[in-house]
Amino acid sequence: MKLDPNAIREKLGIGEDKVYGVIGEFDDPHELVHAGRQIRQMGYTKLDAMTPFPVHGIEDALGIRRSILGWIVICVGLCGTATAFLLIWYCGAINDKFVIGGKPLFDFTFSIPIAFELTVLFSAFASFLGMWALNGLPRLYHPSMNYRDAHRASDDKFLLVIEADDPQFEARRAAEHLRSVGAGAVEVVEG
Amino acid sequence: MSHEDNYQMEPARWSAGRNALAFAALVAVIACVAGCLQDPARFFHSYIVAFGFVAATGLGAFFFVMVQFLSGSAASVTVRRIMENIMYTLPFGALLFIPVALGLKDIYSWTTYDAAHDAAMRWKAPYLSEKFFLIRAAAYFLVWSVWIFSIYRQSTKQDTEKSVRQMYAASRWSAPGLFLVVVLGTLASYDWFMSIEPKWYSTIFGLYILSGGALTFMSMVTLIALGFRRAGVLRNSITLEHYHDLGKWMFALTAFYTYIAFAQYLLIWYANIPEETAWYRHRIAGGWFWIAISMPFIRFIIPFFTLLCRPAKRNLGILGFVAVWSVVVEYIDLYWVAMPAYYPAGPELSWQDFATLAATVSLAGLVFWSRFKKHKMVPVGDLRFEQGLYFENA
Repeated sequence: MKLDPNAIREKLGIGEDKVYGVIGEFDDPHELVHAGRQIRQMGYTKLDAMTPFPVHGIEDALGIRRSILGWIVICVGLCGTATAFLLIWYCGAINDKFVIGGKPLFDFTFSIPIAFELTVLFSAFASFLGMWALNGLPRLYHPSMNYRDAHRASDDKFLLVIEADDPQFEARRAAEHLRSVGAGAVEVVEG
Repeated sequence: MSHEDNYQMEPARWSAGRNALAFAALVAVIACVAGCLQDPARFFHSYIVAFGFVAATGLGAFFFVMVQFLSGSAASVTVRRIMENIMYTLPFGALLFIPVALGLKDIYSWTTYDAAHDAAMRWKAPYLSEKFFLIRAAAYFLVWSVWIFSIYRQSTKQDTEKSVRQMYAASRWSAPGLFLVVVLGTLASYDWFMSIEPKWYSTIFGLYILSGGALTFMSMVTLIALGFRRAGVLRNSITLEHYHDLGKWMFALTAFYTYIAFAQYLLIWYANIPEETAWYRHRIAGGWFWIAISMPFIRFIIPFFTLLCRPAKRNLGILGFVAVWSVVVEYIDLYWVAMPAYYPAGPELSWQDFATLAATVSLAGLVFWSRFKKHKMVPVGDLRFEQGLYFENA
């Protein structure tokens, strides 16, 4: 099989002239939250932030909704509970009726530990894999890494992103808006 | 947002609270005395449940105050004084224990049991003797009092000294204290509650009572904080974020209690040894069956799924409901643990149940409330106090 470089590039999204967004740099978390709120009031909806530590109130300022992961986990977890009960009931009371220690063929009492364990196991899988899926993982790199000072977001800078998917997005205007709310450095970042 | 609160309770409010509690206590104690004269056996049966309810709550408080000193918790600093004041009621449980000591013959069947002819009881006889029972109770209260007064003294001293030294001193007390509260709490549960059915034994029984008490304690803290909020006290110090944390604790302790209670039931069910299963046999007999069968629902399914999602823990109405619910089912639980030994046919409610509960709770409440006269309502000297005020859930 012959490798087609163009197909690979396209698949990985490398080398395209695609814009990921505009990133503005802030010096402290309060500025970031404040700027985020202002940018959102300008009508932008696709916003993101990169910070060295969790910043309280940033989700609220940027209008980032809580993840639906919890609902996925409870649904899958309850499937685990049901799987355990059904499996124990089917194996013990239908498929192979075998009296052990004078106990009933099926009883909730002895099924609960297994049901509990399977609930936990399914929930753990759901939360781990669900987190990967919702975050779009695995991926080779994140476009924000193309930002000149991306490493500062894990040190002492607070980055605010207006993503290119935003319906209002226009690179030059977005950059101006970021500068107008106090961003120290602003850069258009390619994806 | 302003975080200014009056951290000292206003004298008028304090007096009003004290008068209400003192009046309730007076009425309840008179009712108890009347009940005791009219039907002493019934009084003592009701009283052991009421006493256990207050003692278990105090033990829960004792445990959690020490956990906070050891973990260096900042999030809970603003509610810690409420917790400490609940903890402070435990040493005064020694006074509430006096009626139990006077009613040993009515409460504990082992006092009148002829152990010599019963192999299952003979080896327990030295432990279950009246004198040793009272000595042990005195020892529990003595040790708890030493620890509680020491920790409480450090905490209130910090209000004015604002030094790290009190924090370290309280932590040093707390490390061995955590060990003591669980070991002595387990032994106390065995003595006061498990020995009501002297032939029965369950190693996990201590944790059964302690985890129930911890849940009641956390619910009480929530209710007191909500009551303060309604009265306009500490409104800015105990924020929604702190209530969210209390909700998480109630949720976690509901699950923990269920884990312990079910573990006890499962092992006894599985082993199927007569002297162990007898305890559950008595508790599903007659009318007790309805309490037994509703336990998984009222103690686990309803509170657990009510508090499961995040918005529920941030809704003060739901939180208050679950707190009241948890307190009520704890009493039902203790009732179901103790009473079938005296009334095997089913629950026989008596006005004395309510009178004794009102008496122990209001007397403990009076001790709790008395602390607010002199001391601040929050540990203002705690080094993490500011951090605690601004705490937010991620």
